[in-house]
Amino acid sequence: MFQFILRRMLWTIPVIFVVSALTFILMHSVPGSPFTRERALPAAIQKNLEAKYHLNDPLWKQYGDYMWGFVRLDFGPSIAYRSRTVNEILAQQWPVTMTLGAVAFVFAACIGIPLGILSAVKQNTLIDHSSMVVAMLGVSIPSIALGPFLIWIFALKLKWLPVATWGTPAHIILPALTLSTFYLSRFARITRASMLQVTREEYIVTARAKGVRESVVNLKHAFRNALIPVTTIAGPAFADILTGSLVVEQIFGIPGIGKYYVTSIGNRDYPVIMATTLIFALLIIFMNLLVDISYALLDPRIRYT
Amino acid sequence: MWVLALAVALLAGVCAAGQAKTLYWNLASEPPSLDPSLATDTTSHQILKAMFIGLCQFDDATMEVLPDFATSWEFDAATVTWTFHLRNDVYWTDKSWTLEGVPVTAGDVEYGIKRLLAPETASEYAYVLYLIKGAEAYNTGVGSADDVGVKALDNYTVAITLNFPAGYFPTMAALWLCAPLPRVAIEMYGDKWTEAANIVTNGPYILGEWVHEDHLVLVKNIDYYDVDNVKIDEVYCTMVNEASTAMAMYEAGVLDVNDTPPLEDMDRIKSDPVLSLELAQAPRLCTYRYGLNAAKPPLDNILVRKALASSVDRQSLIDYVLKGNQRPAQTWTPPGIFGYVDGVSLGIGYPYDPEAAKQYLADAGYPGGVGFPEVTLMVNTSQAHAKIAQFIGQGWEDTLGIQINITNQEWGVYLNTCATDAPQVFRMGWCADYPDGNNWMNDVFHSGSGNNYEKYNSPAFDALVEQAAVETDPAVRLDLYKQAEILICDTDVAFIPIYFYTFNQLTKPYVVRTFSAIGGESWKNWDILDH
Repeated sequence: MFQFILRRMLWTIPVIFVVSALTFILMHSVPGSPFTRERALPAAIQKNLEAKYHLNDPLWKQYGDYMWGFVRLDFGPSIAYRSRTVNEILAQQWPVTMTLGAVAFVFAACIGIPLGILSAVKQNTLIDHSSMVVAMLGVSIPSIALGPFLIWIFALKLKWLPVATWGTPAHIILPALTLSTFYLSRFARITRASMLQVTREEYIVTARAKGVRESVVNLKHAFRNALIPVTTIAGPAFADILTGSLVVEQIFGIPGIGKYYVTSIGNRDYPVIMATTLIFALLIIFMNLLVDISYALLDPRIRYT
Repeated sequence: MWVLALAVALLAGVCAAGQAKTLYWNLASEPPSLDPSLATDTTSHQILKAMFIGLCQFDDATMEVLPDFATSWEFDAATVTWTFHLRNDVYWTDKSWTLEGVPVTAGDVEYGIKRLLAPETASEYAYVLYLIKGAEAYNTGVGSADDVGVKALDNYTVAITLNFPAGYFPTMAALWLCAPLPRVAIEMYGDKWTEAANIVTNGPYILGEWVHEDHLVLVKNIDYYDVDNVKIDEVYCTMVNEASTAMAMYEAGVLDVNDTPPLEDMDRIKSDPVLSLELAQAPRLCTYRYGLNAAKPPLDNILVRKALASSVDRQSLIDYVLKGNQRPAQTWTPPGIFGYVDGVSLGIGYPYDPEAAKQYLADAGYPGGVGFPEVTLMVNTSQAHAKIAQFIGQGWEDTLGIQINITNQEWGVYLNTCATDAPQVFRMGWCADYPDGNNWMNDVFHSGSGNNYEKYNSPAFDALVEQAAVETDPAVRLDLYKQAEILICDTDVAFIPIYFYTFNQLTKPYVVRTFSAIGGESWKNWDILDH
């Protein structure tokens, strides 16, 4: 197991280099520089600016310099925001996105999975059908529609929750709910399908024959194994929730990192683009590793060599 | 530090006494920069206007140049020099004691202008001050700072020498470009001098708190020279990009003003009994145009350009698409700017006249649009611009029987495209840097200007605007600009002016406010009533 983890971590290095190289090439292929402006800058000024940020160096040198800084955790200056470095932007705003993503993930898991179990146990009843309809709605309604709708109901009409921005636990509820609905629905459906499959297995029949209580059969025996497909999507789900937060952060005016994924490209803010892309890549790799480890914990039949 | 303590005590005292007057405002985004030499966008300028005084300032309504740091100024024709006499009761204020209590002097004005022009600063607005002697040379790296024509004659007198007598120079003195800057703080903190812990200011408000991307708080500066007239104690600025969310916050009472009501809500606002009374529309000094690339056929034929210009139904566009009471434009410089001519009533430019448009196209050799090649209309990616393009493009297709291909590109790519190989028709706008026709005619459409995406090259036009720049008699200048408008909009049809912008703002009834046409509200003149 330890060897497995070590090998996976070593594989991370070439993966990151490929991702960073591709990102670097792509972002420098897009026309326009960070200093393209409506009011055209004099050529001499533009040259000065490019020299200041080493944009005149050959591309391989710029790439090398950036990656050397990256491994020492120095992500460079932000070209668009002169008074802030990328490290500062990440330090201030990454925790906000993580909090929002974590709460959304908890909502999705803690509501979605029990909903799936309930639907599977009470298959083909009213509970099952209505849960699945709710799940369908959750997957279909995009956050740009759901967010303002929730604001309208809970903030403007009922006045239970604040409209937007960040700061108190009450501010987290609506955005986390909006962000969670897609994966909530996916968790519900996958849990249900997986439970239905597992409860047909012979060992479940054996347990029931032995006289084990139904709730123990479901939660201790069936659920643990039904969890494997759910775990498969849980890893990427977390990473996805973090970057899908862009739209929700925009709607609710939340100071997270999500919007930088898009605005940095429009601004041609190369250090920010590289940092946000690489961190996202690292996050996916890490989450996938966690998922793989959790397989081994969940199912003793699974062993890694 | 004691200033902040006093400000807090003041606020606490006011709170105890009754209410601290706090204005809740929304900035559409995080201010990209609070450095007066670097800021280029309206969000940053709004905050800068509250924090820094200028050499002069504008009257919000009339745009007349009024004293601010400078109490009076005069021009000497012999030396082509403007001399400004400054107040002696303005002090720097900051929380970290860098310059606390130090008087603001003429040396700070000299430093501010030279720093703006320094090549290392790389300011986008440096070109505006090229009329100062030695400015362009210094900015492009061929001259030195000592040769720039800005000199502090003593602590409270500054002399600015120009390349030519520009009657409009005081309008530039009212810009943030000529504001005094705190040299010690800038040299000590470098790029970070604008953070809340470091910044040193001298205006009606100080930067109390700045949590990036989240909120910004301005607190009344009790050392401000005119503090007795500043009524609002605190301005709390949120940073919500999404216009519909800001609208919800305004309706929930969380915001006192909404300066970006969404287009989709305009009908509802106008028919709502409460909101319709809170809506105000004020002129904004910006013009929207469709640039024409006269180097690309079929637009190289002036009759084709006249046909396109005559088949834009501006009023319907304003009534049904824009819904903001904008004003149709047939000329370039908007009303409120010196040099404006009323093209609509004087018959300059091309009003909406479908019959005339069809005739022009027929005379050009394409009766009914037969044989006319497809024309590309490009805008930068945005829902609003796309809607306008669809309306106007459809109008062209219906009236002239031609084919229009509407495309869009991301802003950075778009600017690149327009600069290197502009499409046949492309959308551009311009907002006033300073309220004078020179900024509109010369700075944009002179043949050497980087903002001249149409690549309009008319020696007659260049001569007119160059002469207007140095002319001192306002009546003569006005006539020169009128001739220039006729030349570029009417005779040469270099572009199609579409409309002059307006501000649409919602304000709660308990806010007593002013409207600034040039952008950047004067919060120091506002008040909040009991509510």
